[in-house]
Amino acid sequence: MPPTIYIALRFITSRKRSLVLSLLGVCFGVAFFVLTQAQTQGFERYFIQTILGSSGAIVITDRYQPRYTGFEDTKDAAFISSSGQQRRKYYEGTTNPNLLMRVARKFSSVKACAPVLKGNITMRSALHTEIASAQGIDLKLHLNATSLGQQIVEGSIDEFRNVPYSLMVGELLSQRLQIGAGDTISVIGADGKSQSFRVAAVYRSGVNSIDESRVYFHLNILQNLLEKPQTVSEIIVSMREPDRAPALAKHFESLFFHRSRSWQERESGNLQIFFALRLSAAITVSLVILLAGFGIFNILTMSVLEKVREIAILRSMGYQRRDISAIFLWQGFIVATLGSLLGAASGALLTFAVSRIPLRVRGILYADSFIVHWSIWHYVYASGIAFLAVLLASYFPARRAANLAPVDTLRGSGQ
Amino acid sequence: MSSKKRSSKKTEKKAEKKDHPLECRGLHRYLGEEASRVHVLRGVTLTLERGTVHAVVGPSGCGKSTLLYILGLLDSPDSGSLTIGGQDVGQLLDHELSQKRNELLGFIFQFHFLLQDFSAAENVMIPMRKLGFLSQGAMRERASELLSAVGLGNKIDRPSRHLSGGEQQRVAIARALANDPQVILADEPTGNLDTANSDRVFDLLKKIVRERNKALLLVTHNPLIAEACDWVHTMQDGEIDQTMQNMPVPAGHAGTTRR
Repeated sequence: MPPTIYIALRFITSRKRSLVLSLLGVCFGVAFFVLTQAQTQGFERYFIQTILGSSGAIVITDRYQPRYTGFEDTKDAAFISSSGQQRRKYYEGTTNPNLLMRVARKFSSVKACAPVLKGNITMRSALHTEIASAQGIDLKLHLNATSLGQQIVEGSIDEFRNVPYSLMVGELLSQRLQIGAGDTISVIGADGKSQSFRVAAVYRSGVNSIDESRVYFHLNILQNLLEKPQTVSEIIVSMREPDRAPALAKHFESLFFHRSRSWQERESGNLQIFFALRLSAAITVSLVILLAGFGIFNILTMSVLEKVREIAILRSMGYQRRDISAIFLWQGFIVATLGSLLGAASGALLTFAVSRIPLRVRGILYADSFIVHWSIWHYVYASGIAFLAVLLASYFPARRAANLAPVDTLRGSGQ
Repeated sequence: MSSKKRSSKKTEKKAEKKDHPLECRGLHRYLGEEASRVHVLRGVTLTLERGTVHAVVGPSGCGKSTLLYILGLLDSPDSGSLTIGGQDVGQLLDHELSQKRNELLGFIFQFHFLLQDFSAAENVMIPMRKLGFLSQGAMRERASELLSAVGLGNKIDRPSRHLSGGEQQRVAIARALANDPQVILADEPTGNLDTANSDRVFDLLKKIVRERNKALLLVTHNPLIAEACDWVHTMQDGEIDQTMQNMPVPAGHAGTTRR
């Protein structure tokens, strides 16, 4: 073992109270950092999964036609919208959706595509009438592109597959209509005529805005109901790496001449809230770690003052300035290492404990307990901040110790 | 004079110099700034030879400790030259001076200055750890051997704070010898001990110097200790006033002092 580590270990273990205080500071900081990140990111991830599971990573919607400008008008600002984008003329729905899906599937990052027809219908049960947002889907493709298969809370997806005039209704909407799987309900389409549908399943996406309004039909049935034959409003695209959706959406938009929106763009408002919460928690807890760093700074500074004589003795025995500096930096390193390890273990335990706390969340997501996200990066970041804070806190006392002139101490030293 | 003769004279001089583990010439040192600036050392010249014990005596404030710290490479002279182990150390960098201290010098302080949280053996092993020549086992063995030599063979694992003053000073002697230095510098090594312990410590130091062929320079206020040294250098106002040889030493081991 290098002498500086050996002496650092002996110095630090000889001051047990200071060691415990330093360790507790770092340990709490790291543990709380891990816990808050696990919580905030847990909810955020769950929300993202819900969004991706319900609406895919990219939604390709209306076709547009760029407004080409004449040669003499190319520099005319009138053709540029106030947002800086070139003006476009949009046409509702997709054009040639099968071709779009075939091309989209050629991209390696695209996992699946599914067509969706959207429209409004009126649903009338024996007790209640509600206007709902109807989505016509190709079940096989839709199950590949979304997590609808895992969202069923009542009834069965097979029932929907086998019965053409059946539908799947969101849990909140089913509660309002007071219907359940197996019931029959009247649906009034564009022509104003009522048609009976069997409720094949009730689903829960977790997002209230979906669960209280969305009803799934077979695509061809809804096309008839809405009198929009062969029409597809949008194409849902699921991706292997959803984080890369913005770039692919941009590419699709220019390639297909269809409006393409990534999930990040669609949910930017909610995502910003999550990001702000996570950042706020990270800053708060980083301050705790910094405070721990200040504590360690004080402890090490005191240690330098207390060990002035020992430093002079070590120098007289041939230890160099950098050895003295290393002794104090190693003390910081030992505290940071032990504190981070203890903090990571405590953080993991706290995260597990918190994930067991019952918590009823209904709104932008659906949860019955704290949702946590387990990520090694939380521990890496927390330990990184702890190391940075502690080593910074150790640096100045270490430098001070290294710069002490031994002769001054020895001249005026006595027992 | 032929070039051969000149060269052989040079070699002799070099060999003679090498046999002087420590030599200083015309050391000057000022302490303080501006109005409070004091000329502490005024051209001190001193040579230590192997197997000799030198005492530096004089009233408080005459520059004894300052001289000791300069000779121990803990302080730098404002002018003059200092040779340790045959090498002029005047131009060495801080880390090179530290290395010299570790390899060639052993320090003994009045207040032993042991690391209180360390055992006797661990204290003795600290210079060895820095030198890095020995394995853990070999360091421990050497520490045990040195502590036995100073009569503490049965207390090697005892925390230094649990040792008596005399025992602690003996641990400090063992520590000073840890890296087998050529020169031992002691600042009133017996100043804090009772007569019995003082005699014991001094006799021990003298024995080690004789047996291991080292050079010892000690600063003392104790006339009895000074009398028992081979050479006594009396300092006054930053100068060595008088150098006295107390007893004959074997030929070729004479200490010399010049003003």
